[in-house]
Amino acid sequence: MAQTKRELLVDPLVDNNPITLQVLGICSALAVTSSLKVAFVMALAVTLVTAFSSMFISILRNQIPGAIRIIVQMVIIASLVIIVDQILKAYAYEISKTLSVFVGLIITNCIVMGRAEAFAMKNPPIASFIDGIGNGLGYGLILMMVGVIRELFGSGSLFGITILPTVNNGGWYVPNGLLLLPPSAFFVIGLLIWAFRTWKPEQVEEREYKIQTVEAH
Amino acid sequence: MPEDSGQKENNRDKGFVRRFLELPPDSVPKTVFVAVALCLVASMIVSATAVSLRPIQEVNKLRDKQINILQVAGRYDPSENVTEAFSVFEPHVLELDTGEFTDAFDPTTFDDRAAAEDPATSVALQDDPASIGRKSKYVTVYLLRNEDGSLDKVILPIHGYGLWSTLYGFIALEEDGNDIYGLQFYSHAETPGLGAEVDNPRWKALWRGKKLADDSGDLLITVAKTAPPQGEDYHVDALAGATLTSRGVDNLVRFWMGEEGYAPFLENLKAGEI
Amino acid sequence: MGLRNFFDRIEPHFAKGGKYEKLFPVYEMVESFLYTPRTVTTAAPHARSYIDMKRIMTYVVIATIPCILVGLYNVGFQVNSAIAVHGASGWRAWLIEALGIGFDPANPFANFMHGLLYFLPIYITTLVVGGIWEVIFATVRGHEVNEGFLVTSMLYALILPASAPLWQVALGISFGVVIGKEVFGGTGKNFLNPALTGRAFLYFAYPAQMSGDTIWTPVDGFSGATALSVSASDGYAQLAADGMSWMDAFIGTIQGSIGETSTLACLIGLAFLLFTKIANWRLVVGCLAGMIGFSTLLNVIGSDTNPMFAMPWYWHLVVGGYAFGLVFMVTEPVSASHTNLGRYFYGALIGFMVVMIRVINPAFPEGMMLAILFGNVFAPLIDYFVVQANIKRRAKRNA
Repeated sequence: MAQTKRELLVDPLVDNNPITLQVLGICSALAVTSSLKVAFVMALAVTLVTAFSSMFISILRNQIPGAIRIIVQMVIIASLVIIVDQILKAYAYEISKTLSVFVGLIITNCIVMGRAEAFAMKNPPIASFIDGIGNGLGYGLILMMVGVIRELFGSGSLFGITILPTVNNGGWYVPNGLLLLPPSAFFVIGLLIWAFRTWKPEQVEEREYKIQTVEAH
Repeated sequence: MPEDSGQKENNRDKGFVRRFLELPPDSVPKTVFVAVALCLVASMIVSATAVSLRPIQEVNKLRDKQINILQVAGRYDPSENVTEAFSVFEPHVLELDTGEFTDAFDPTTFDDRAAAEDPATSVALQDDPASIGRKSKYVTVYLLRNEDGSLDKVILPIHGYGLWSTLYGFIALEEDGNDIYGLQFYSHAETPGLGAEVDNPRWKALWRGKKLADDSGDLLITVAKTAPPQGEDYHVDALAGATLTSRGVDNLVRFWMGEEGYAPFLENLKAGEI
Repeated sequence: MGLRNFFDRIEPHFAKGGKYEKLFPVYEMVESFLYTPRTVTTAAPHARSYIDMKRIMTYVVIATIPCILVGLYNVGFQVNSAIAVHGASGWRAWLIEALGIGFDPANPFANFMHGLLYFLPIYITTLVVGGIWEVIFATVRGHEVNEGFLVTSMLYALILPASAPLWQVALGISFGVVIGKEVFGGTGKNFLNPALTGRAFLYFAYPAQMSGDTIWTPVDGFSGATALSVSASDGYAQLAADGMSWMDAFIGTIQGSIGETSTLACLIGLAFLLFTKIANWRLVVGCLAGMIGFSTLLNVIGSDTNPMFAMPWYWHLVVGGYAFGLVFMVTEPVSASHTNLGRYFYGALIGFMVVMIRVINPAFPEGMMLAILFGNVFAPLIDYFVVQANIKRRAKRNA
């Protein structure tokens, strides 16, 4: 790969974002973004798991038999996920209560597997590590953007700190209940993709078909 | 990876692991070796982490439960040490049918939820308004005493089904066994913004000072849109837009405060036998 | 024809290369609203029809007139009846007082005017906010503003409760127009019904203002449950005990969204739409069959704990938004199935789902909105299977 380390880190943020361009990892992005704190911890967890799993897989890449490579990757990722989950339970219990289910699901997060299979199997450990960090950050960036919108307008707060005092607590803001439901993240992510592709038109996929104009006779 | 005969002969001089590492990745022995080695290493790391972190996790779990009990009793102060603040609470295992404490279990380790699933310590409910299926015969309750040793509050665990999920919580009663001090759910999955408003401090505050039953002992407490004819003392306003969660809370509170639940215990309490 | 001349005179400014080229959609909107569109196809095939988009949309709006009239009367009737008990307040009461109309629920004109005072702000907000979005998209994309919005805005205003806060009305129509229609390319490419999309958004975003017992009649202190929520908690027999006969529900003097309470008015609209062939009768038949079939099945099965099981089909027909949805939403040609066979299945799926949601889902007493949106999503799939089946049959025949 002819990418510099800086490119490996920065590219996945906008130009090759795992969520908005590759549309991977949507499931957890729906589930954990109703509060910023949870989204932040999830982003951190995914970044760590992606980085270290990519690194370990890259170290072993010349030894991993092709026939069982996916299972090998899974075992490495799963072990890391369990460790992250255990650490959360020990040191961030409040967050782990809401996050535990989804942390377990990092194993099936396509971003982690995708980077392992697409990048770490062909690249040296340090580059893979940085690539993992970059993709984790790209994922985290979108998570945080969705989280800001959902928590601010859904509960009137950011990181649990009240910004818009809600009616139920004596304020004026009527919170938008839809944003607290997971499907709303679909809309928010969709609108984000729209915004990204308006900003960077090269991300727009080519049309599968083209409407032809016929000249009048 | 190319394979030549010269390498094979060299293998005899090398160590066991080294010999495997130099096998071509796609050969059968190598595949087996990698699979076994990876599983061994991964399982060792995972179990080491789990075992070494377990004590901290147990402490967290306990602390979380203690904070909830402190909160429902109005004794929670984030700046204070939780274990210390909690030490004033007396845990007891209560036998629901007789309404008396039992020494058959150690209250500090008794697991209510496990007991509710164990056929030996639970009964299947015929009439089941709270939709909980089985009821444990024994539950852990907490007593809070004044400095002179007289009873101040009792904290009773309750649970039941709302709209989407089982709500688990505590209800705190004054020493007369009839006045409600507070109600709090610590675990549920109701609709955010509607049913999840059971966590709203303003709604929880509505419970304070309400009464379970009237002077003749009829259980009147209800969660509803309109007050019962007996008056506001027995009425907690339903959650706006969350009819089914409110109904679930109504059912579960009435179930646990009724004959199948804590009524025998509350009788004993009123008689001054606790 | 001074106006015609005026349009002809200013047209060059809006045409390609003109001063206001970008604002052509606005010019076109005003012009074609007032005159028949003059655009014709330039390349073969030329299909000739007496009916164009403008006429379809106008007919649908005409078909809603009975619903509007009964709806306005009913809103006013409910409000005036409640005022008799709870007293009047607010600017509407002041205005009515100033005009000397009074609050007598027995006076149809007073009811109608009071209803109008609730409907107009909602409708105007819908038109203005939705219209702005339409013009923005039309301008950016360089196509004409479509008459379809007239229908969307009318239907949307009619399925809101009279008490809906105007800022929520604005948010809902924005969501409906942008997410329900424009992101997919505009009228004709929307697979969801934009009016319902907006309504569903409000339903989930602001449930406290869009469901419950206190929102249908906007008088402080008044509480009146809809027929469906009464049935859901106490069984439909309770309706009679509360003094609501089937006839009341059929004519529409009950609690509910502005335009959807009267089944009679909806059926008049349906007759008009079927007569003018705007609505496809297969959709209507399918939807009725699905609803009647499944609700009868549930009647037979019965349930001790769920009183909704016992509700017969003729009650399902007259309560909630079933009739309104059937007439104006299910028959919407763009979001429905496009094959004739598919239309039966599409209608039946919605009829089945509405009973399913009303009876079996514990959270939502009303199911028509969700059932239709569900049907919308499945419409292309139904068409796909119908077309595939056709292809297979023909391949066999010609093999």
